[in-house]
Amino acid sequence: MPKLLYSHLKKEFKNHLFDYLLLITAGIFFLILLNIFRGQRVIEFFILISFAFFYIIWGVYHHIINETLHLKTVVEYILIAFIIIFLLKIIILP
Amino acid sequence: MEKIKTFIHHLFIPHEENNFRAKSLHTDFLTVYLVIAFLMMLVFKQGNIRDVLGFATDISIEKLAQLTNEQRQKNNLSPLSLNSTLSLAAQKKAENMFQENYWSHYSPDGKTPWDFILGAGYKYEYAGENLAKNFLFSNGVVDAWMNSTAGHRENILKREYTEVGYAIVNGILNGEQTTLVVQEFGKPMANSFPPPAVQASESIPQAEQIIAQKTFQPKISALKFSFNLNVIFMVFLLLALALDLYYASKFNVIRIAGKNTAHLLFIIFILIGLFMSTIGTII
Repeated sequence: MPKLLYSHLKKEFKNHLFDYLLLITAGIFFLILLNIFRGQRVIEFFILISFAFFYIIWGVYHHIINETLHLKTVVEYILIAFIIIFLLKIIILP
Repeated sequence: MEKIKTFIHHLFIPHEENNFRAKSLHTDFLTVYLVIAFLMMLVFKQGNIRDVLGFATDISIEKLAQLTNEQRQKNNLSPLSLNSTLSLAAQKKAENMFQENYWSHYSPDGKTPWDFILGAGYKYEYAGENLAKNFLFSNGVVDAWMNSTAGHRENILKREYTEVGYAIVNGILNGEQTTLVVQEFGKPMANSFPPPAVQASESIPQAEQIIAQKTFQPKISALKFSFNLNVIFMVFLLLALALDLYYASKFNVIRIAGKNTAHLLFIIFILIGLFMSTIGTII
């Protein structure tokens, strides 16, 4: 199972190198900002929201580029992003 | 048993009946998760996860004392007894930090930790102070102190100390909602007559009674519960995404759906961020 997953991920990254580099860079940037503003809850929540919105925009952009954009796909990105926002709000800003 | 097996198969494995996408990742299921997350957010907002000021911490004096003594016992040192005078000094120190808006061992007008300890009426032979802010859990505070190279660990493991006092106080520091933890160590002077030390497992010390008026420590750790729930849910999503990705690539399924790889990356970053948010700062 890990071998097949690994080869699939490798292929996926290779085919969309720029897109995934962009997402990973944003993710690293998100973690760096969280570390810088550690303990400042309002800013932490704002950073989380920014990353979540970036993720939605990334999803739309990625599927436009690949000509696979569909309303269902956009809704999927929005739903995942908002589930995470609501769940983390309980921890960061109750 | 067969029904459960079929249900799990339907939930995680893409096949014809779930339109070649794990049911747990379908839009309708994601909507259900969203509604549950939203309701949880509302429940916790109305419930007792936070205190009256809106701060969320799961730090308690009892737990801090217990964890500190566990560290001392691991290093063959005698446990520290909880002292109400030192707790009062810690309380005064925390209140002073909020009043004068500083985050330091020394106040802008030159007050030292020793001034607060002496001011509370504790005559010491040895004394020390550890500070922490904006941690979510007691173990995070003690772990950070123990991993510190700036003297916090030395304070916890100092052989000379016999007593300790704590204060956990919420307030606004530099415009931010802040939870301060102050830990004051001491060894009373031999000829002084300090008030009798109170063991952590016994009655509530004076300073803790003062804190009880200002902050609310939930009986059931709602914050810990919601934190664990977050982790479990994210691990569930990761598992569902990984299984769906594996079987979709195994069967070469082409479908209209979001990219599992991107979802996986996003959730992994969020999970790391979640753990980072539990860590505050120490000085």
